[in-house]
Amino acid sequence: MSNDCPKERGRHGKKSKSDMVNLTGNIEQKDDMTLNRRAFLKTAAGASMALGLATVPFSLRAMVGLAEDDTEHVEIVQLDQLPRGESVTFNYPTENDPSILVHTNDGELVAYNSACTHLMCPVFYEKESETLLCPCHKGYFDLKSGHPIAGPPQRELPLIEVEVINGTVYATGRQYRHG
Amino acid sequence: MGKKTCWGIIFVTIAINVVMLQWTVEAWLGREYEITLVYSGVAVVSAFIAFFTLLQWRKLEYKTGTEKKPDASGQSGETDQAV
Repeated sequence: MSNDCPKERGRHGKKSKSDMVNLTGNIEQKDDMTLNRRAFLKTAAGASMALGLATVPFSLRAMVGLAEDDTEHVEIVQLDQLPRGESVTFNYPTENDPSILVHTNDGELVAYNSACTHLMCPVFYEKESETLLCPCHKGYFDLKSGHPIAGPPQRELPLIEVEVINGTVYATGRQYRHG
Repeated sequence: MGKKTCWGIIFVTIAINVVMLQWTVEAWLGREYEITLVYSGVAVVSAFIAFFTLLQWRKLEYKTGTEKKPDASGQSGETDQAV
């Protein structure tokens, strides 16, 4: 039985029979030991696992979100106080979510969270062009759908579902992805 | 399952997980919580597949060979130990 230290006889030890250890005239031997095909595949597998597990915090937060119910009815305005071509601002579903309700020239009621999806500036209703305008960077949103039609915004404004009950307009829900 | 298959599976899982991470973040930002869970579930399963494939590859890669190969002097010598 050999009296060599186990480390001496191990894979990377001086007395290993591995070709990689016994290379001669190789000044980059250390790199060859660590930067090789096997290390590459192990790193690739590790990267794959890291990417997969990186989604877990989002799913945990999604479970919390599923448990929350944000569909309470919130009174916005009396319908007779909002003539066609006018808008009113309100907050929904929380005080930190500024929103805008528009009574269009066609007589429709549409409501959106008014924070621009570009950099969160408040959007305004433009009566003449029937669009929603973000003045900060000239972002335009379609009034009927809330989708961006010009400028830097890439995503639609969250849609607030409205309902008229006994002449009063209520916010009843919110859709982030719509249309 | 051969070693080349293991390589292929691991690279496929990387591609799947990159896409799933992107889709998960998009769905979460859009408050689409059910879809977020689906994408995240696929990503986690894919990560486990990558892990078990790595174990399988290690088993094949570090298996001590039985075939002899000639050494520098032309005589048959010891087989290569795993590095």
